[in-house]
Amino acid sequence: MEARNLYIPVVLGTVRMGCMSAHAARVVAGELSKRPGVDTNLIDIAKLPLPTNDAGEAIKQAEFSANMNKADALVVVSPEYNHGYSGLLKHVLDSCLKEYIHKAVGIVGVSAGPFGGTRVIQNLLPVMRELGLVTIFWDVNFSNVQKVFAQDGTLTDDSYLRRTNKFVQELIWMARTLRYGREQVRLN
Amino acid sequence: MNFPQQRSERMNCPRCGAVMNYHADKALYFNEGDETRSTDSATGGFIEEIHACPNCGASASRPASN
Repeated sequence: MEARNLYIPVVLGTVRMGCMSAHAARVVAGELSKRPGVDTNLIDIAKLPLPTNDAGEAIKQAEFSANMNKADALVVVSPEYNHGYSGLLKHVLDSCLKEYIHKAVGIVGVSAGPFGGTRVIQNLLPVMRELGLVTIFWDVNFSNVQKVFAQDGTLTDDSYLRRTNKFVQELIWMARTLRYGREQVRLN
Repeated sequence: MNFPQQRSERMNCPRCGAVMNYHADKALYFNEGDETRSTDSATGGFIEEIHACPNCGASASRPASN
């Protein structure tokens, strides 16, 4: 048994008011929080006080940086906007770099259409790689999202929980494995 | 595992003082305000060593020594 819990924050990657992605992020954070030995935290990028008159590590925000530094893995929940991700999500992710190295990341795509954010996930993969994150091979795709949640945010289709649990299971395995690598396997 | 060629001095954890594990090099394309840093000829970037602490999990980095 590992002495330290894994820390796996969930990043809600949109600032759109009333977005359905917030419900998806809460589902994933809720499933992570049920896992023994895992701590999580929902990070809403709309609440991060990052300036937009500069970019990259020059605008690093102490709390977000500390969260990424502490993280063993992260989940990015992203809606699909015109086949892409939100510019502000990229702005936030770019504010850190060294904090991400050799840590696992899983991506949750959200869309109003039938493809469940598959295109935004594909577009995020090269960004994650360049940031030094290691992507897992499970995604969660919330398609037709307006039908998946009730108005109060309650999930109406339990099949999403089964998918989310497969995703969480793989993410935890990768988080454990990469923690071992970071802490025990020396670069030669 | 045995690694006969260790490229860098051990780094101590800034949080707990334990010896950290050197697990990655990352090329950065900005010099973080340090005009004295030289670029790596192979990548054109500034190579940063990434270390992790096996005791408390903290990570830290420093410019690569070579």
